[in-house]
Amino acid sequence: MTQASDRQNPLLAAEQHKIGDLLSRLWEAEETIRAIYSGEADAVVVNSPSGPRVYTLEGADHPFRVMVEQMHEGTVTLDSNRLILYSNPQFAALISAAAESVAGSDFDRFLAPADASLFAGLIEAAVAGGHSSGELHLCDVNAATIPVRLSVNLLDVAGMQNLCVIASDLREQRRNEAILKEGRLSRLILEQAAEAIVVIDPRGLIVRRSESANLLARKPVLMELFDAAFPLTAAGIRLDTDRILAAMRAGEKITGVEAQMARSGVGTFALLVSASPLSSDGNELLGCVITLTDITERKRAEEALATQADQLARSNSDLQQFAYSASHDLREPLRQLAVFTELLQTRYQDKLAAEAGLLIEHAVSSAHRMEGLIKDLLAYTQAADAPQGPEACTDANEVCRKTVATFETKIAQSGASVDCDPLPLLAVHEVHLTQLFQNLIGNALKYCGQEPPRIHISAQRNDGLWKITVADNGIGIDPAYKNQVFGIFQRLHGGGKYSGSGIGLAICQKIVQRYGGRIWVESELGRGSRFMFTLPEKKNETR
Amino acid sequence: MKRDSLEQLSLLVVEDSPADVFLVREALKEEGLSCHLKIADDGEKAIHILDGVDAGDQDAPSLLLVDLNVPRQNGEHVLKRLRRSPRYGKTPVVMMSTSDTAVERKRAFELGATEYFCKPSTVAEFMQLGKLVRNLLEARHGTAA
Repeated sequence: MTQASDRQNPLLAAEQHKIGDLLSRLWEAEETIRAIYSGEADAVVVNSPSGPRVYTLEGADHPFRVMVEQMHEGTVTLDSNRLILYSNPQFAALISAAAESVAGSDFDRFLAPADASLFAGLIEAAVAGGHSSGELHLCDVNAATIPVRLSVNLLDVAGMQNLCVIASDLREQRRNEAILKEGRLSRLILEQAAEAIVVIDPRGLIVRRSESANLLARKPVLMELFDAAFPLTAAGIRLDTDRILAAMRAGEKITGVEAQMARSGVGTFALLVSASPLSSDGNELLGCVITLTDITERKRAEEALATQADQLARSNSDLQQFAYSASHDLREPLRQLAVFTELLQTRYQDKLAAEAGLLIEHAVSSAHRMEGLIKDLLAYTQAADAPQGPEACTDANEVCRKTVATFETKIAQSGASVDCDPLPLLAVHEVHLTQLFQNLIGNALKYCGQEPPRIHISAQRNDGLWKITVADNGIGIDPAYKNQVFGIFQRLHGGGKYSGSGIGLAICQKIVQRYGGRIWVESELGRGSRFMFTLPEKKNETR
Repeated sequence: MKRDSLEQLSLLVVEDSPADVFLVREALKEEGLSCHLKIADDGEKAIHILDGVDAGDQDAPSLLLVDLNVPRQNGEHVLKRLRRSPRYGKTPVVMMSTSDTAVERKRAFELGATEYFCKPSTVAEFMQLGKLVRNLLEARHGTAA
């Protein structure tokens, strides 16, 4: 057996050597594992035929795990289907969920639906480049959205493409931004406001002010006493911070109270004062916002306007007085003059020289003519007066027909023809349209040439106004006088050739202008005239 | 009624223009009426006369010719005062004016005018006033007689 053993000895020795080698390698491995567990080594690099390989053991995660558990950001790892493999407590807290309910959930559950494609883009970028980040919104279990910054990292673990997502809560940051923005906004408002705006504290100190507040006070007013900077009186009583704050405490608002502020050397300002309380959440009065609008200029303009209106009213009443004088006071002596001259003529005819009769006749006719002029002038001053009654609406066809009828005799005598196209409903008083047609048709009949008068009345609509045309074949008007004919007592024909005082077209113009329209004439001597005027249409007319 | 009995009557003319008083006389004369004319050249005097009539100090006029535009108290006041009188309130009144506006005319009739006479500028037309007065007097005193 020994012999056999000896024979077998080299084999045994080889085996024993192998065992020793294995033992040492085992020890080495155990030592490595211990080192990794204890944190002395993170990983083991082993040379293999296919190159060096890195081995880590789970225990090596420990410090990182601690970090991940303790870090401020919410962190999750996702598998390639975006299933949450791991969530740290902060992520669960971020979405207000119980920590144990998060792992195993679909990450998309906690993503604001509107940001789904944004997130998909982040993942795509991370898979392609290893890392991506962007701002989007999560959606907590109560469906509230949370602004976050997501940082997505690709974790290529043993050929499995997992993702690590770190979410930083941006709510606080957003709040700060909003506060900053609001602060900027209110500062901007204060800087740009035309009104003087000040914020006072309960002691009456100005703690905020607009630029214009400084301008109004003509000095910097920050941290000044409001009452010193703006000594206000309203209705003769001081309007100071005591009164204003008392009103605020009583729950009263001050809105647009007119006040005065005397400034030595500058004069008195007229101001509109408004004040609103500033209260804490606990309803304690922290002060108030006071707005001072400088209305000095406006008041001055208003006063100037009132004075003008006054003057206008006076001049209007003067005019009415004149119209009355014209109708009565002036006509009375004229009438008497006419009557007494006539009496003189009839009673003393036989005692007077032959020529005396002629002179008296001239005197009588002059008095009558003057009476006529006065009547016309009165008619002119009253021409555009609005008649009482309902809103103006007149059928021009009807008025034209009636007016033509009043000229029946004249038309028959002269062999005239009057054609009238269909006319509209107009927003004017009947009496005014009647006067227009009476004057224009009357003129067309009066100023005729050798031919019998042919008169054509037509209408054209343009921009809410109707243009009415009265065309004739009469003697026409020299274009040089086309504006003059609308003046008061303007006549183009002397002597007794054409009767009239020359008030008719002036009256027409006054009436048309009253309705915002205009009147004009197109004519040539000997070739007829076309008088045109515009008047507003009747709204909702049915024609 | 006979012409001479109308001549006994007295008329009150409220008119500040002597020329028009002259013409009123002419118109009455033309119509053959030589009534006694009492003239008041302003409204206040006219109202004073009417007060006297009411108090029994003065005889009542048979007719009034009142110009609308007389000084102090105008014609409208005189007309209103007359219409308030319990005894002579129904006396005929001719309101006169140089102007002839529809408004003035309407108002005069509303206040109780019997006639409205617009003073004309020809002799012939002015003389029509006489006829108007005669008709009114006859209508009143004719039935009364």
